Amino acid sequence: MLIDKEKCVGCGNCVPICTMGVISVVNGTSQVNQEECVECNTCYRTLRSEGRNPTFVRSVRWLLRQFRLAYDAPPDVCPTGALTPPKLTWPRTLRAEFSDPNVKHPSTGGGGRGTEEIKTNDVTGRVQEGKIGFAVELGRPGLGARFHDLQTVAMALAKAGVFFEPNNPVTHLMTDTKTGVLREEVLNEKVMSAIIECRADAAQVPEILAALRRVAGEVKSVISAAIAARCGPDGSVPYLDMVREAGFTLSLNGKTNIGLGRPRFEERQQAA
Amino acid sequence: MTNRLHRQGTHDGLSRDYVVFVTVARGINRKGSGPKSQRFLRLALDEGPVNIGVNGKNLITGGDPEQMLAGITDDSHPSAVFSNLEAVRRLVGKLKEEDLGLSVTISALTDEVDAILRSQGLVRHSIEHSLGILGRTERLPTQQVLELTSMCGHGCVSHNHARKMIDWTKLGKLTPRQAAKYLARPCSCGVFNIDRGEELLTKAMDMA
Repeated sequence: MLIDKEKCVGCGNCVPICTMGVISVVNGTSQVNQEECVECNTCYRTLRSEGRNPTFVRSVRWLLRQFRLAYDAPPDVCPTGALTPPKLTWPRTLRAEFSDPNVKHPSTGGGGRGTEEIKTNDVTGRVQEGKIGFAVELGRPGLGARFHDLQTVAMALAKAGVFFEPNNPVTHLMTDTKTGVLREEVLNEKVMSAIIECRADAAQVPEILAALRRVAGEVKSVISAAIAARCGPDGSVPYLDMVREAGFTLSLNGKTNIGLGRPRFEERQQAA
Repeated sequence: MTNRLHRQGTHDGLSRDYVVFVTVARGINRKGSGPKSQRFLRLALDEGPVNIGVNGKNLITGGDPEQMLAGITDDSHPSAVFSNLEAVRRLVGKLKEEDLGLSVTISALTDEVDAILRSQGLVRHSIEHSLGILGRTERLPTQQVLELTSMCGHGCVSHNHARKMIDWTKLGKLTPRQAAKYLARPCSCGVFNIDRGEELLTKAMDMA
């Protein structure tokens, strides 16, 4: 994100809104640490431009200061519309693609961080019985991550024998899906978060979870990890014991695909 | 993909937090899905959601819900957030009855969702759980802040924004409801639960 210094009046509203905490007010105007900015556009989208004249706003603020008064603008405005999204070039474009949920990934054509995964599993059959899906999200919650950390984790998971989801945007950045190695030029790019999606046979779960725990100590950010599966005919969850035995605790909440998608995967298979 | 999964909180806090959304499978049932997604949101609106998300807009930024509904296309994947278990139960019943053919996912306490489905004669198809947070967890803010910010899974509600809203409610500059609405604004998927945000901010205020 860029800030128009001619327009910025240093109200500071963008400072707490910044998802990465990399905007600060210096000498009366806001500044963005470009190295750490992930181009999520949250500040631009959240703060409504009031379109006020900068000279007028500065004068009013100066006048108030003379009387030891201050004016707190509503927390959802940029009084002068100083925030300016820049035109990005590769590989910095990845920052917006992985950080702004409204920007689509050119590699997959989808928005957001990952794929449809189990949300359409009733239709796609992506994670079938006997298979377990994993979503390993680096940078979440709220810290951000660089692709060299993603590569470290992807390589560890590759060694554990996972199959990387082909339609996932991180997989698209891999030069070799057998090893999890990413393209060299993207490694230093920082994003709000990115998800490594993969699946494996249920028997591999202990090894994958052990690898995940080991590699978590090697990264500079946080990892929000998730596990997914096709439920049994009675709605049972196939990975409960495996997860417990590996020393992980499952969340109380989760995502449930309630099975209303049509045509069902099984029907499509039969038709084929 | 996991933007509605890793919501932090206690069993009690999460028991009034339900996100219901539809997803289309590209190349399979996306074409012609717009009217079905519209119907989903119509049914959801009838149950009084606390927030909705359509085409990058939420209840705070999107204006009139009817206009948001009208803007749904084949590329939309609308969501609705509820604080009321019975509203979700009724919505699931209607979705089953209408058989729209879109995949429906509910993000909430899994045991509650399982009970809702069984009461409607359904069995869950697939499930996803969080395995928690690993790595440099010492860099994370307090649980109080995380419970607020994790309601936007894309991370668009910053930790500092939550801290500011906690401070402003404690100072009496904003009511918890007003502050929760400000926090909901950056979450363009509309999955920030404004009622729960208000509840968490009221608790934070009481701790002052």
